[in-house]
Amino acid sequence: MVVRQYREVGEKYEEEKEKWTRCGKSRGIPNPYVDMILVDGITLLCNDLQVDPQDIVMLVVSWHMKAATMCEFSRQEFIGGLQYLGIDTIEKFRDKLSYMRSELKDEQKFREIYNFAFGWAKEKGQKSLALDTAIGMWQLLFAERHWPLVDHWCQFLQMRHNKAISRDTWSQLLEFAKTVDLQLSNYDEEGAWPYLIDEFVEYLTENGIVQRGQN
Amino acid sequence: MSAQKKRNFKIEAFKHRVELDPNYAERTWRVLEHAIHEIYNHNASGLSFEELYRNAYNMVLHKYGEKLYSGLVNTMTGHLKEIARSIEAAQGGFFLEELNVKWGDHNKALQMIRDILMYMDRTFVPSNHKTPVHELGLNLWRDNIIHSSKIQTRLLDMLLDLIHRERTGEVINRGLMRNITKMLMDLGSSVYQEDFEKPFLGVSASFYSVESQQLIECCDCGEYLRKAERRLNEEIERVSHYLDVKSEVKITSVVEGEMIANHMQRLVHMENSGLVSMLVDDKYEDLSRMYNLFRRVPDGLSTIKDVMTSHLRETGKQLVSDPEKLKDPVDFVQHLLDEKDKYDKIISKAFNNDKTFQNALNSSFEYFINLNNRSPEFISLYVDDKLRKGLKGVSEEDVEVVLDKVMMLFRYLQEKDVFEKYYKQHLAKRLLSGKSVSDDTERSMIVKLKTECGYQFTSKLEGMFTDMKTSIDTMQGFYSSQYSEIGDGPTLAVQVLTTGSWPTQPSAPCNLPAEIVVICEKFRTYYLGTHTGRRLTWQTNMGTADIKATFGKGQKHELNVSTYQMCILMLFNSADQLTYREIEQATEIPPSDLKRCLQSLACVKGKNVLRKEPMSKDIAEDDAFYFNDKFMSKFFKVKIGTVAAQKESEPEKQETRQRVEEDRKPQIEAAIVRIMKSRRVLDHNTIVTEVTSQLQSRFLPNPVIIKKRIESLIEREFLERDKADRKLYRYLA
Repeated sequence: MVVRQYREVGEKYEEEKEKWTRCGKSRGIPNPYVDMILVDGITLLCNDLQVDPQDIVMLVVSWHMKAATMCEFSRQEFIGGLQYLGIDTIEKFRDKLSYMRSELKDEQKFREIYNFAFGWAKEKGQKSLALDTAIGMWQLLFAERHWPLVDHWCQFLQMRHNKAISRDTWSQLLEFAKTVDLQLSNYDEEGAWPYLIDEFVEYLTENGIVQRGQN
Repeated sequence: MSAQKKRNFKIEAFKHRVELDPNYAERTWRVLEHAIHEIYNHNASGLSFEELYRNAYNMVLHKYGEKLYSGLVNTMTGHLKEIARSIEAAQGGFFLEELNVKWGDHNKALQMIRDILMYMDRTFVPSNHKTPVHELGLNLWRDNIIHSSKIQTRLLDMLLDLIHRERTGEVINRGLMRNITKMLMDLGSSVYQEDFEKPFLGVSASFYSVESQQLIECCDCGEYLRKAERRLNEEIERVSHYLDVKSEVKITSVVEGEMIANHMQRLVHMENSGLVSMLVDDKYEDLSRMYNLFRRVPDGLSTIKDVMTSHLRETGKQLVSDPEKLKDPVDFVQHLLDEKDKYDKIISKAFNNDKTFQNALNSSFEYFINLNNRSPEFISLYVDDKLRKGLKGVSEEDVEVVLDKVMMLFRYLQEKDVFEKYYKQHLAKRLLSGKSVSDDTERSMIVKLKTECGYQFTSKLEGMFTDMKTSIDTMQGFYSSQYSEIGDGPTLAVQVLTTGSWPTQPSAPCNLPAEIVVICEKFRTYYLGTHTGRRLTWQTNMGTADIKATFGKGQKHELNVSTYQMCILMLFNSADQLTYREIEQATEIPPSDLKRCLQSLACVKGKNVLRKEPMSKDIAEDDAFYFNDKFMSKFFKVKIGTVAAQKESEPEKQETRQRVEEDRKPQIEAAIVRIMKSRRVLDHNTIVTEVTSQLQSRFLPNPVIIKKRIESLIEREFLERDKADRKLYRYLA
């Protein structure tokens, strides 16, 4: 039963792989999708799980699977992840979802998932995360762990920065959101924050969005 | 006679007490008492010292010391009371004189009495803890005369009055004063202090307080200080003449307090005569006086220093932001040097070469020179001007002096790397146009820069000199290899520049005249023959040419022009008239340069070898140019080339600045990596401080830029943030 399930999913992916091998090979493109579950496969999976593919729980799933890139699972990642989670049927998978959602509420795990999301969401071979993708991810993540300034942050980036986001900036943003209060009263200029965050603070005060409290 | 037994003599004491007849004591005392009277009445000559001494001796010996002593006290007291009355009775000025005379008398008497009673003084007095005679005499004088109610105040008032009169210009009897004050000192320092000095200081304070108030209203600063100095000297002199030497420091501090400390701010800031106007007008004497007076009071010198500093900063700031003064860079720098000279002179002549003032001067200069970010460029232009012509005919030592002064300004610059860039550019132009006054002077300047900034700063500059030398050798080799093949063609002089050493000026070569092309190719072949693997690019924007030209009436002239100008002029060998567009097409010289060249060939009086229609100063696309037949000059050789260094235009300046900023990034990164490699783990602020201090000899790095570089290094995985403390960075090997 278990194997059949996997195989079902796997077969759908074999199909996909076939398709790609055909197209890609004829163009001389090396086949990167050996043993991979791709977008369509994931959509199918989500259907079966009765979950929206955009649902953040899929990020948690990917995290458990140590997936390298979003919208793809390698065989190793997929099977390895399921084994770790003790999932061998679709029903069990479905049931685990609520557990996985709850993991987002754990501080430590949220941080790990958040930091994982950077590597997962960026393009393979790139060092930085494209701005649009980053913004999408932030909206998603900060819906789970509420940060009131997230919209201003995204707006600021689009207006003033308009470039990709570095890993350091990504990870430090979470620290910023966690430690600095909304009046920025405990924001330390000497606090070794990435310069983008310094500029963000300037932006907030310049535009009167925040009245800085006493330092 | 038989030997008798020797008997030891024994002297036995009386077996009974021998008492002095009590009347004897009384009689003896009377004798002494009488003697004391006589002494006080100036009748001492009739007395026998020996007899009196013996009497006193006997009294003490027979245990009548107490009687003698108390008798002395009473007798002396009695006399002193009488003396007091006579002093009190003295009128007006005679009071002090009487006191003085009586004091002298008393001392003489006391001496005689003491001599007579010496045995008592040496035996009875110490063992009975009595006051010795001399001291007793002084104390009695003090108690009965000086502290007598009728005398005490009168004495003090008289003394103070005399001093006051002397202060207001009267002449007083200083000898008398001296005696009186000496008397008070002899009576004990507490008497001098309580009965004279303290009130004296108090009265002096009020006197000077009033005087200083009056003076400050009506005098200007210089006058006031002169008067204050005079008063100070007066008081010192007064002390030396008739007061206790220990009073000097006390009275001078009163004068200093009242006349100087209390009015310091007002004096320094006085309009039209205060410190600032003294500085402006180089009033060395007044300044020196102010320095010497103010150093006596707390915060005096720091007040002067602060006002001088803020004045300097203010004037400096104006100087560097005044567009008028900035028009001519050489002038501007000369102003700076003059200002420095001025203040150096002031500090040495008036401020005693005080180091703190020197430091204030340095920090002020550093402050305002860096307010204008063109200072490095301008200083380089000044040096350029001096090395071109400014130092012609100047002796070697004077040359050194000028260059050393410029180095002082250089030291103040924060952006030394900007200076380096400009210096390189200007040096290049000087070398290539052969316009340097002397090679030695150039070298001397390089040595100074090397001493100041280290070897890296000047290694490229030295490379330029090497290239020049090598090129001469290359040219010799070239011509000797060509034999007669050159013939009548143009003579070429090539300087081969190593790309890394010379300031990069990217330029596409323009179209050279055919004759030139030929010989250039010959050179290229020759050079690459001996230096395989190298690449040569002609820098047509940097060369010069000498052309022989024949004008309308047959006048011949030799024109010294830039390479671009040469290309333009050669076109007129085959055409009488050319439009701007035609020239542009034929030569492919960049438009801005082309326009400048044409202007210098056609629009400058005395140099207009070309004629332009229309005659306007600006060059328009359709302008037509003609060879100017009618050109005239009294000189055979006419110089038209403009290869001299000028201050950059706005866009050029921006470009240079950008290049400087770009160059700084790797330097900052290198510094960060060096620091992290040795320290392994550091917090952010320490890195910023360390980097700044490592780079300060070249420029002042912006902390925001440092932060960005750190982040870039994190991204490239040279560094990482510490997992536990996000403010720490770790070096990744």
